[in-house]
Amino acid sequence: MGNASNQYNDCFYIAVKMNTGIDYRCFADLMEHKALRTYRDIADKEILERISKEEMGLRQNTVGKVRKLLDSFGEVGRKAKEYSKLAEQNGLRVVSCLDVDYPYNWRVLGGMPKVFFAKGRYSLIDQMTLHGAAAVVGSRNPSKYSQYATDRMCRELGEKGIAIVSGMAYGIDRQAHLSSVDTKGGTIAILAGGADNIYPPANKDIYDLISAKGLIISEMPPGQTPLRQYFPSRNRLIAGLSDCTLVMEAGAVSGTLHTASYSAAQGKEVFVLPNSIYYENAMGGLKLLEDGGNILLGTDNVIDSISRAIIYKRMGLACPGEIRFHDDCNGEVRSSDIAVLRELAKVRPEELTDDNWKSLLLDALTLKPLCADELCKATMLPFYKVSGLLTELELKGSVCQEKGKYSLTFV
Amino acid sequence: MASRPNVARLYSCFATGTDAVLTLIEVSISPGIPTFSVIGLCDSTIRESQGRLRSAFKSAGFNMPKGHITIGISPAYMRKAGSGFDLPMALGILFASGQLYLPPEARIYAEGELTLGGELKGTPGSCIRLKTVRDMDFDYRIIPNGEAASAGVAGFIGQGVTSLNELSSIFDGNYYIERRFQFLRGIGSDDRIDISMLKGQEKTKRALLISAAGFHNILLMGSPGCGKTMAGKILSGILPPLNESELADVYSLAELSDGETPEVSCDRPVRIIGPGITVGKLTGNQVSLLPGELALANHGILFADELPLYKTEVIDFLRKPLEDRKINLLRHGNLYSYDCNFIFLGTGNPCRCGMLYEKGNKCRCSGPDIKRYLSKISGPFLERIDLFSEMRSISGDDMSEIYIGDKGSESLEYRNAVERCWQMERERYGGGYLNGTFPDGDIRNSMRIPSSVIRFATDMCEKGFFSARGFTKILRVARTVADLEDSADVTEAHVSEAVAFRMKGV
Repeated sequence: MGNASNQYNDCFYIAVKMNTGIDYRCFADLMEHKALRTYRDIADKEILERISKEEMGLRQNTVGKVRKLLDSFGEVGRKAKEYSKLAEQNGLRVVSCLDVDYPYNWRVLGGMPKVFFAKGRYSLIDQMTLHGAAAVVGSRNPSKYSQYATDRMCRELGEKGIAIVSGMAYGIDRQAHLSSVDTKGGTIAILAGGADNIYPPANKDIYDLISAKGLIISEMPPGQTPLRQYFPSRNRLIAGLSDCTLVMEAGAVSGTLHTASYSAAQGKEVFVLPNSIYYENAMGGLKLLEDGGNILLGTDNVIDSISRAIIYKRMGLACPGEIRFHDDCNGEVRSSDIAVLRELAKVRPEELTDDNWKSLLLDALTLKPLCADELCKATMLPFYKVSGLLTELELKGSVCQEKGKYSLTFV
Repeated sequence: MASRPNVARLYSCFATGTDAVLTLIEVSISPGIPTFSVIGLCDSTIRESQGRLRSAFKSAGFNMPKGHITIGISPAYMRKAGSGFDLPMALGILFASGQLYLPPEARIYAEGELTLGGELKGTPGSCIRLKTVRDMDFDYRIIPNGEAASAGVAGFIGQGVTSLNELSSIFDGNYYIERRFQFLRGIGSDDRIDISMLKGQEKTKRALLISAAGFHNILLMGSPGCGKTMAGKILSGILPPLNESELADVYSLAELSDGETPEVSCDRPVRIIGPGITVGKLTGNQVSLLPGELALANHGILFADELPLYKTEVIDFLRKPLEDRKINLLRHGNLYSYDCNFIFLGTGNPCRCGMLYEKGNKCRCSGPDIKRYLSKISGPFLERIDLFSEMRSISGDDMSEIYIGDKGSESLEYRNAVERCWQMERERYGGGYLNGTFPDGDIRNSMRIPSSVIRFATDMCEKGFFSARGFTKILRVARTVADLEDSADVTEAHVSEAVAFRMKGV
């Protein structure tokens, strides 16, 4: 397998990114070169030497940077070893985009980290892919009202199995993690610095809580202190990992607004908690509403939005599988289900069996009752197929019709 | 000099209900004080013809002969009406008075109304009359040119004339030239709505397709403005055009009640009725025997808008015609029967506010309110409805796609599928029956339903999915679903789909 060497290569890639001038764009250019099969080959000195000799239409700037990297190859290697060692010491997992359990939401977006570090229950990522995630962001010193709303919403969403993603800052972030850490959905914190670097230090209590029960993620190498310029990038990751964003409170100039605009740019819905117009720290949120944000009146609309996102995601994966809410085994996703999903992901929709489709239909109904037309749209199946399957499910007693909609009978 | 027969004989026809009766018209002229009498239970339209004849003769250069003119129309015991007897009466007088030459032993058929200026006009009911006399043996068949369209639809052979003058060239100059009347098939109306307008309403689209393919009665329910009325127009667009005999049926009734000759169109009729409808308007006029909405919808669609608002008596009345596909009128002890073989398309709101099926909790009606609202549509009536679908307002996304996207021709594909199904069904049953109209009885064998599938359906029936009376309904719909798939036998999957269209969930 060469897991250790993979981990070293991944850390090498991070080291290159952190310590040489080879940035994201430069790397994209480099990947055009035939010699590089995956990004991991950057740790291969021979390949780098080949690139520096055969330029193959690379930009001069890029080639120059590769030569510079070759000069400092040993030093970068030392850094990589250090990262790898630190990760092991602190119990961090090095996750690569070549891994099967790389987050699905990041995989479908451009510009997400190829390698990141994770601490805690990594199975939350798989669970999140199945049941959705909501980013909850807001001010560092919120009003009682926003804090109360954050607590309520996070608990309700968490109980539905939806993961709460936030940034472990003071205020809203802290409240969001605290309220969701013990729910079914769990909590995920994305840090601006290294995953072992507790920032802000006063949040050590929840850092410990999250690393035990939730998940901590960072694209920065271990030991890295969070610099000012890292925060916007971190906000982008928060938006990217979740299926919609809840803005609980945001001043007119706030990092929260970055998260919201990233979310909107990624085609995800932004919900804003309404607040008084005379409360200055809420102006940013109200402006978002003016610009067409969704108003957050309760969790219903959020759940609608996430359930839509999940159905589309599932269509993209084309993998129904055994997806239910897991009342058994402490909200853990059974690993076999994920295996089924991955297997099915390779199957084209027209090759799915009726049983696969049935579980897809049941899955679509878990969050709320739907009518046959909506099910047709979600599954992209013709009506005659959907109606037949629904009748069979009805016959089995799994679903029932009410007010023209199909809902689960929970028996 | 022409021979002067004492009595001139001609044939004409009059329509009662959907039938026509051949009549013999005899004209005799004897010397005496001038009189003019028409006998044989004629109504005043026929008796008034004296005035029209007198003036028309003068305009055309003939004379009203002096003497006793007696015109007998037989069978004398039947009540007759209509100005169509003008032309045979005029011809009879002209023959009897020797102003025109009556070829010996000639059988002459004539009809048409005369104007004071001597021109000929068509009269209502011509299509029915011409259809009846089409196959009878006549030497001369003369009709007004105004009835050419009806004659074309009826497949009538004869000569059309526009004025009384032309008759002298026919009988004195032997210019009688028979021809088969042709008609121009209308290309059908342009304002048809394509089924792609129902984007996002997959259940309703499918229900409409099945309804058309098997001639099944259908009920659509949804909020105001979700496109229920549009669905009616869409349904007519996916039905195959009328064939010749159906066209004659439809045209003859339309022509009977409209008076003026309507355009010949192969579109199936769509009769739209609203909550103000009465039983009388549905059945037709008992006195004049003019057909009502039910008969006019024959071979087409009876579109009952806002069904839950109808009077209870109307809904209950509809049960029988929906079952028999026939409506009877009684006049003077005679039974007149009209076919009413149509697709019943009912629409309505599912509750008082209409929002029951909408997204979210928009409906403000309480459970008992909803029950009360729908209880008007009685159970036995619903037994005659094969398909049910709920409709919802079209979402914004779909709406913009409908209007931005190019005008689809999805209806055409649907129509082709329906046509294929009809062909299969007619071959299977014979007698022009379709799945929805095939009489109850040995459905299992004639519809080719294996016993395992019957057991599957019985199982569902026992679990309370539908009543025993709804059983055959489900099998009929399943048969159409199978036909749409080109499947020889009905399978369990077909039954499963049919079950999804039952009315449920109030």
